Amino acid sequence: MEKAKISTKQLFALVVLFEMGSAILVGFPKNLKQDAWIANLLGMAEGILLFFVYYRLYLFYPNLPLTGYLQKIIGKWPGRILGFFYIVYFAYLSARVLRDFGELLSSTIYTRTPIFFLMTLLMLTIAYAIQKGFEVLARVSELFFVIVYIMAISGFILIISSGLIHLENLKPMVENGWKPIIKTSLKETLTFPFGEMVVFTMLLPYVHLSKKVKTVCISGMILSGINITIAAVINIATLGVDLFTRSSYPLLTTISKIQLLHFIERLEVLFMLYLMIGGFIKVALFYYVAVAGTASLFKFKDLRKINLPIGILILLTAMIIAPYYSEHIVEGLDIVPIYLHWPFQIILPCILLVIAFIRNHKKTAKEPAP
Amino acid sequence: MKKQYLSLLVLISVVPLLGGCWNQRELTDLAFVMALGIDKGEKKKYDVTYQIVEPSNVSSGQTGGGGGAQGPPIVTYKSSGNNLTEASSNVTKQIPREIYYAHANILVISEELAREGILDILDKLERDTEFRTTTTVVIAKDNRAEDLVSTLTNLDKIPSYKFIKTLESTESLLGENIKVTIDDLLSAITSSGKEPVISGFTLMGSPEKGTSQQNINMTRSQALILADDLAVFKNGKLVGWLGQNNSRGAVWLLGRMKATNVDFDWKGKKDAVSTISNLSDTKVTFTVKNGKITANINIETIISLSEINRAFEIKNPNEIQELEKKTSVQIKKEVESSIKSVQKLKADIFGFGEKIYRQHPKLWKKIKGDWNNRFAEMDYQIKVKTYYRESGIRDNPFWSDINQ
Repeated sequence: MEKAKISTKQLFALVVLFEMGSAILVGFPKNLKQDAWIANLLGMAEGILLFFVYYRLYLFYPNLPLTGYLQKIIGKWPGRILGFFYIVYFAYLSARVLRDFGELLSSTIYTRTPIFFLMTLLMLTIAYAIQKGFEVLARVSELFFVIVYIMAISGFILIISSGLIHLENLKPMVENGWKPIIKTSLKETLTFPFGEMVVFTMLLPYVHLSKKVKTVCISGMILSGINITIAAVINIATLGVDLFTRSSYPLLTTISKIQLLHFIERLEVLFMLYLMIGGFIKVALFYYVAVAGTASLFKFKDLRKINLPIGILILLTAMIIAPYYSEHIVEGLDIVPIYLHWPFQIILPCILLVIAFIRNHKKTAKEPAP
Repeated sequence: MKKQYLSLLVLISVVPLLGGCWNQRELTDLAFVMALGIDKGEKKKYDVTYQIVEPSNVSSGQTGGGGGAQGPPIVTYKSSGNNLTEASSNVTKQIPREIYYAHANILVISEELAREGILDILDKLERDTEFRTTTTVVIAKDNRAEDLVSTLTNLDKIPSYKFIKTLESTESLLGENIKVTIDDLLSAITSSGKEPVISGFTLMGSPEKGTSQQNINMTRSQALILADDLAVFKNGKLVGWLGQNNSRGAVWLLGRMKATNVDFDWKGKKDAVSTISNLSDTKVTFTVKNGKITANINIETIISLSEINRAFEIKNPNEIQELEKKTSVQIKKEVESSIKSVQKLKADIFGFGEKIYRQHPKLWKKIKGDWNNRFAEMDYQIKVKTYYRESGIRDNPFWSDINQ
C-alpha cells in the first residue's frame, strides 16, 4: 500500500463521480420502459444496505485493504488466491468501462478514428495519473467534481427551459406490477453502479478521518443515485419510451434535442466532456485498485513499477472483450451481473463478514478487552 | 537532465495526437446539405434531391456584392437509389465535395411516395450520426419534392430556412399547421395509440421558373412555396388530407394551438367579429360506461378582441359574455368537424389511444387490438371555455357612433 491520505471531501467527490461515471451513460434498465427510474432509485437503496457490509469489514480492519484482510479472514493462501480473483475482477471491470467510453466516442463524434486509438489516449492519461499516485487522482476528482456539477445543473436548466419535459411520458407508473422492477433492480441497478462500491474496500484505508467514512460514502451514494434517477426521468420524459429504449446513449440523445433561442443547440460535444470526466474517474479507480491490489499481493514496494503492464493488459482486454458494441452491452446486462457482480459484490463480502464476525468474536471472548 | 529530455520528447510526440486530426475535414471539402427531398423514383425506388448551400453566394448579397455575376445561393443534385444510403452514395458521382448532413433542417417527402409508405426511409435518418432527428418533416402536396427543394425564395435566401420560418410563423399565428420533427414522427409511428400527422407544403406557380435566379429578382415570385394543409398517416402511409377547415380543429385537439383568429357573425352581420385566442390549453379525459368510451375534451383559452365591425358596448358584461360564448361555439364547431373527418379516416392522430393507455392502462390492453376502429366509433363531448382579456387600444368601435 502506498502512503497516501485523502480528505473526506475528496472521498465524497470520488464516490459521486465513480458512481455516476458510466451509469449515467448506460445504466438505465430499458426493459422496464417508463419505470426505469424506479429501479434506479431502488438500486440505490439496496446499494446503501450493501455498503454497510463493506463498512463493517472496514471497521474490523481499518488499516488494511480488501486484499490485506482477505488473508486475515480466510487464511494466508486462500486469501491470496481470492485476492487475486478480485484483482482480475477489478481489471476486467476497468476494461469494460474503458470499452463503454471508447464505443461512445467512436460511434458518436470520432466516427472514423479507430477505437483502439481513442482508448489508448484515454488510458495514457489515466496511467499518468496513477503513476503520480492516489492522492493526485483524489485531487483531480475534487476539481472535476465542480466542472461536472456546473455542467449537470446547466444541462438540467437548458432541458427544462427548452420545454422538452413531458412528464406524461412517465405514465402509467408501475404498469406491470412491482415484481419485474424489483427483479431488475437486484440484477442490474444494484450491481451497476451501486454494488461497485466494493472498489472502495481497497481505498477506504487511505481516508484521513475514518470516523466520517460512513456518512461521506452514503451521502455520496445518495447524491449520485438521485442524479442518475433524475437523468433517467429526464431521458424518459424528453424522449418518450420508444426512443428511450431505442437509443444507444439516451442522455446524449436527450441533450441533442436541446434547442433554445435558435442558437443554443447541438450541445452533445460539450456534454461529452461531462461524460468523459465520469468515465475517466471510473476507469482510473478500477485500474488503480487492480494495480494497488497486485502490489500488496505480490509485495511490490513501489506500485508504479507494475502500473504500465497492468494498464496495457486492461487496454488489450478492452479491445478483445467483445467484437461489437451490442454484444458488449448484452454481456454487461445478462452475464456480468449474475456471474461476476453477484459473487464478488454481494455473496463473497457477506460470507467474509460472517467469518470475520465469528473470528473477532472468538478473539474478544478469549482475551477480554483491556 | 536525461529525464527532462525524455519527458520533453514524450510531450512533443503527443502533440500531433491532441489536434484530433484523424477525423479532419476542411470546410472547403464539405457540401452542406440544407434540405433533402425524397420522391418516388422513376427507375429505382427513390429519387433523392440534395439542396446544397453555396456559401459564397449567400454572403455576397449583404456586403454589397464584390463584383462578378452572382449565382444562386443553393444548388441541387439529384440521384436515385433503392434506399437512402444507395442514393447518397450515388450522388457522390456528381458532387465534387463530401456530403455533410449535420445542417440539414428540412426533409420534404412527396405526396406520391407518402401514399405508398414512408417507413423505409426513416431508419437511415435516425441512425446516421450526422443527420439530426430534430429535422422538420413536410409533405410536398400535389408536387414533387424535387420542385419544392429546388425553388429559390425571397426574404430568406436559403430556401430551407424559408420552409422552417414559414412553418414556425404560421404555427404560432394561425395554427393550421404544426412543425413535426423526425423524432415526433417516429414516436407517433411506434406508438400503438397514435398516428402521425405532418404539415403539407405546396408550390404555387411554375416549378420551372422557380429554379431560375429570375424568381428572386421579381417582386411577385413566379414560384412560391407555402404551407398548406395537414396530412394524416396511418400505418406509415398517407391516407388523406384534413383540409383547411379541419386543420385548425385538429391543432386544437393536439394541444398545440398557440394563437389563432376566430371569426363569427355579430347581430346579423356575417363574420363581423374576429377574436384572437392567445393562450390555450386542451385536456382530454376518458370515461368508460358499459364498455363504451367517451372522450371529454376540455379546451380553455384566453381571447382578445381583434376586430369588430358592428356596434358594441364594451363596458357591458353581457356583451362580453356573448363574445366569449360565440367564440366558444365557433371553436367547438371547428373541433367537432375535425374529429368527424378524422374518424372517417380511422386514424387516431390526436393520440387518444396513448392518453387512454396512460389514464386507464388495464382498459387499454383490452382495446389495443382494434383501436383505430374503436376510435372511429368513439363518443366525444367538447367543452370550450373562453376568457376575454383585452381589446387593443380602443374601447367601443366607431360603429357604435355611426349607428346612433
